[in-house]
Amino acid sequence: MLAIRTENLTKDFRVGFWRPRPYRALDRLNLEVAQGETFGFLGPNGAGKTTTLKLLLQLIFPTSGSAEILGKPVGDVGVKRRIGYLPESPYFYDYLTAEELLTYFADLLGYGGRERTERVSALLDEVGIAGERRMQLRKFSKGMLQRVGIAQALLNEPEVVFLDEPMSGLDPLGRREVRNLILSLRDRGCTVFFSSHVLSDAEALCNRVAIMAGGRLVASGRIADLQAFQAHGWELVVGSLTADSLERHRARVRRVTPLGHDRYSLELPLEPAPELLLRDLIAAGAHLVSLNPMRETLEDFFVKKVGEQPGSRFVDDSPAKAS
Amino acid sequence: MRVIRAIAISVFKESVRDKVLYNLVFFAVFLIGVSYLLSQLTAGQDVKIIKDLGLAAMSLFGLFIAVFIGIGLVSKEVEKRSIYALLAKPITRQQFVVGKYCGLVFTLLVNLAIMAVAYYAVLGAVAWIAGAWFRPQWGAPALDPALLKAIAMIFLQLAMVTALALFFSTFSSPMLSAALTFGLYAVGHFNADLKNFDAVVDSKPVVFVAQALYYLLPNLAPLDIKNEVVHGVPVATGYLMLNTAYALVYIAVLVSSATFIFMRRDFK
Amino acid sequence: MTSRRQVVKFVAALVVLLVLVVTVQVARERAYAFNPIEEDVLYVRSGEVMKRASLSYDAVMADVYWIRALQHFGRERQKEPADRHFDLLYPLLDLTTTLDPLFTVGYRFGAIFLAEPKPGGAGRPDQAVELLRKGIASDRAKWDYYQDIGFIYYWHLHDYERAAEWFRRGGDVPGAPWWLRTYAAVMLTRGGDRQASRSMWIQIGQTEDEWLRSTSETRLAQLDALDQIDTLERIVAEFTKRTGRRPQSWRDMGDAGLIRGVPLDPSRMPYQLDPETGEIGVRRESPLWPLPTEPAAAPELTNAAPPVPK
Repeated sequence: MLAIRTENLTKDFRVGFWRPRPYRALDRLNLEVAQGETFGFLGPNGAGKTTTLKLLLQLIFPTSGSAEILGKPVGDVGVKRRIGYLPESPYFYDYLTAEELLTYFADLLGYGGRERTERVSALLDEVGIAGERRMQLRKFSKGMLQRVGIAQALLNEPEVVFLDEPMSGLDPLGRREVRNLILSLRDRGCTVFFSSHVLSDAEALCNRVAIMAGGRLVASGRIADLQAFQAHGWELVVGSLTADSLERHRARVRRVTPLGHDRYSLELPLEPAPELLLRDLIAAGAHLVSLNPMRETLEDFFVKKVGEQPGSRFVDDSPAKAS
Repeated sequence: MRVIRAIAISVFKESVRDKVLYNLVFFAVFLIGVSYLLSQLTAGQDVKIIKDLGLAAMSLFGLFIAVFIGIGLVSKEVEKRSIYALLAKPITRQQFVVGKYCGLVFTLLVNLAIMAVAYYAVLGAVAWIAGAWFRPQWGAPALDPALLKAIAMIFLQLAMVTALALFFSTFSSPMLSAALTFGLYAVGHFNADLKNFDAVVDSKPVVFVAQALYYLLPNLAPLDIKNEVVHGVPVATGYLMLNTAYALVYIAVLVSSATFIFMRRDFK
Repeated sequence: MTSRRQVVKFVAALVVLLVLVVTVQVARERAYAFNPIEEDVLYVRSGEVMKRASLSYDAVMADVYWIRALQHFGRERQKEPADRHFDLLYPLLDLTTTLDPLFTVGYRFGAIFLAEPKPGGAGRPDQAVELLRKGIASDRAKWDYYQDIGFIYYWHLHDYERAAEWFRRGGDVPGAPWWLRTYAAVMLTRGGDRQASRSMWIQIGQTEDEWLRSTSETRLAQLDALDQIDTLERIVAEFTKRTGRRPQSWRDMGDAGLIRGVPLDPSRMPYQLDPETGEIGVRRESPLWPLPTEPAAAPELTNAAPPVPK
C-alpha cells in the first residue's frame, strides 16, 4: 500500500470578479510516495505545491482526478487519525497556552486522561518548549510557533507527516533542528512529505523528490537518478602553484579561479582523468587541497526545467498564446 | 460528541479570555445605579421599571454578544488559517460548525444565568428596602419566579440570533454578517405587519409573498413575553413549549444550512 | 528630555486645556444665553411608530415616557396657576399606554389628572375618557377603568346617564366589586349627592398608589369643608335673621354668641367670610383651595327632574 497516491489530480480556480476565468493551479498530477520515504516536493512559489498539499488534506476540493492516503480516499476521517500536518507559517489560537493547544488537539485526536497528559508533555519536551508550556501563544516567536506546529503534527505518532515549507522563516539554528527532526522521523519509519523551495534542504534529506513548475510535475525520482545529476567536470583545488606552472597547463583547464596565496581552483573537463594534471602540477611543486566532481546542482536543473514552462495557465487561453 | 464538546469548550474559553464576561459588570452596575436613582421618580412603579430594564438589558447585552462573536465564529478561523491544522485532525466539518455553535450558546447561557442571579438580587434588595415583597400596583411580586420564563424566552431568541450569525459567518465577511443579522433581528420583530398585509395592499400575489415571508423569516416577537411577565399576566406552558419547538426547528434549519455551505468550501 | 519631565509637561498641558474648555463654554453661555426650550418637545407622537421603533424594548420605552409624563406634570404644577398648560400630558400618557397597554397606573393617572380642571390638572375630561377607553379595549377585565370613566362623567361632566351606564357596565365585569352597581343606581335616582361623592372618593382612596391616596384625602377634606360651610351658612342666616344685617366678620358672629372662636377648615386654616355677599369659603392659602364644584350644585341642573332609568 502506498502512503500517498494521486491520479490526474487537477485543480482550477476561478479568477476575476466580473467574468471569472478558470486558472489551472494544478494540472493532472500523478504522484506516488511509498511508505517510509522522505519525499521532497519542490518548486518555485506558485508552482502548485501548497495547492497539492491542501488537496491532500481536503482543505480544498479537486476539479477532477483523485488522491489517496494509506489506501483510503483523501478526507477519510479514520485516516486523519494516522497523519500529521504542519501548515505553512502556522497560526494557532493566541489566547491558549502551548500546553492548552496540544491538550485540545490531543482531545480531538481521541486521547484522554493520563495518556493525553503524558503525550502532551512528551512532545513539549521533544520540540524543546517545555519551559514555555504555560505561556500564551500570542507571545511566541515565529521559531517557537513552528515548534508548536511540529508538536501538534506529531501528537498521534503519525504514519505520514505533511510539512508545508517547514524551514520558512527560521534562523540557521531552527533549520538545523527541523532537519534533525525530519531525519529522526525517517529513522522511525515515518513517511515524510515536505514541500520546499529551498533545494539544499531536499538534497540533504530526501530519498526522492518531485519538481513542480507552472502547476505541472516536471520531474520526479531519486536525486541520484535524475539525469542531470551526473558529474560534468572536476574541481581541483591546489596550493603553492606558481604562475609559471599555471601558464604552462592553462590549456587543459576550463576555468581558473585564484583563491589568493598561490592557491587556485581549477575547473577541469570530465575527460581526461584529473589525476594526470594533478601529477604534473605536483611535480612542478604544487600540493593538493581538494578534488571533487562537479555536478549540475539541483538548482541548475530546477532553473532549466522551470524556464521550459508555457506562459499562461488560464485554461481558456489557446495553446498558441503560450510563449 | 466528544469532538463537539471539545470545540464548544474552546469557544467558551476564547470568549472568557476575550473578556466578554466583563459585560456582566456593566450589567450589575447599570441595574444597581438605575434602581437607586429611580426610587423617587416613578410614583411607586420602581419595581416594574427595574424588572423591565433588567430584562431589556439582558436581551440587549446578549444580542451584542451573540452577533459580535457569532459573526466571527467561522470566518475568524478561516481568515487566520487556524482552521488548517484543525481540519487535519480526525473531525468532520459538520462537527466543527455544530461545536462552534454550541460553544457560543453555552457562553450565552452562562452569561444569562449570572445576570439572572444579579437581577434577582437587585429586585430582592429593592423590595427589602421598600418593606414589602408584593404590592398590588406592581402587578406581580418583586421576586417573581415567572421572570425565569421571560429569561428562558430571551435565551431562545439569542440562540436563534446566534444561529443566524453563524449561518452568515460561513460565507460572508464579518461586516456584512453583522448587518444582515441585526437587520433580520429587527425584521423579526415587525413580522406581524407582514401577516396583516392584506389589510394594506390589494394585490393577491403581494399578499401571498408577504405571508410566505412572515412564516419563513425568523419570527422573534412571539418569544417576547417580558411585558406579560412583568405585569403578572400568566403565560401558558403550552405556549412556551410551542415557542421552544419553533426555535429549535428554526435553529436546526440554520445550522444545517451553515454546515452544508461549510462542507463545500475551499479554503484558499 | 527624561520621560518623567515629559509626563509632567503633558499633565500640565492637559490641565490647562481642560480649564480652557470649561472657560470657553462659560463665556459662550454668558454671551449667547442658551434658552432651554421651555416646553418639553415631543418629536414622535405616534404610539404605533414608537412601538415599532422600540423592537422588543417597548416596555422600557413605556417606562421612559411614564417618567417624562410625571416630570412634565410636576414641572407644570410648580408654575403659577395661570401658566399651567399640561399640554403634553395626554400625548405622553398615550404613548406610555400604547407602548405598554397593560400599564394600569398610566391610565389611572390620566383618569385623575387629565380630567381635573385647571389649575390642578389639564381640564380635559374628554382626553381622560379617550385614554380609559383605550385601556378597556386592551383589557376588558379591568373594572377600574369603567369606574374611572363613570366617575369622570359624574364628577366633571355632570352627565348622570352616561355615568350610570359606565358604572353598570363596570359592575358587569366578572370580579367587579358590588358597589359599582350601587353607584349606577345612585346616579339614576339622586343625580348624585355629597354622600355618594364621598363614598366614591373613599373607594378611590383604597389604593397603594401614594399620589392617588393623597388626592382622595384632599377631596374628602374638601367635601368635609363643604359640609362645614353649609353649617356655617345656616348660622350666618340665623345671624341675619336675628340682627337684620350681614355679619362683618367672625367676630360679629362670636359676639352674637353664635360661634366660639374662628372656624377652621379641615386643614386648620380659618374660613373666610365675605362681608358684602355673606359667602363663606376657604382661604386662598389653604391647601383645600379651590373647592370643587359639586355635580348637583351645577346651576344648570338644579331644577331638572331626576333622569328616568332606562
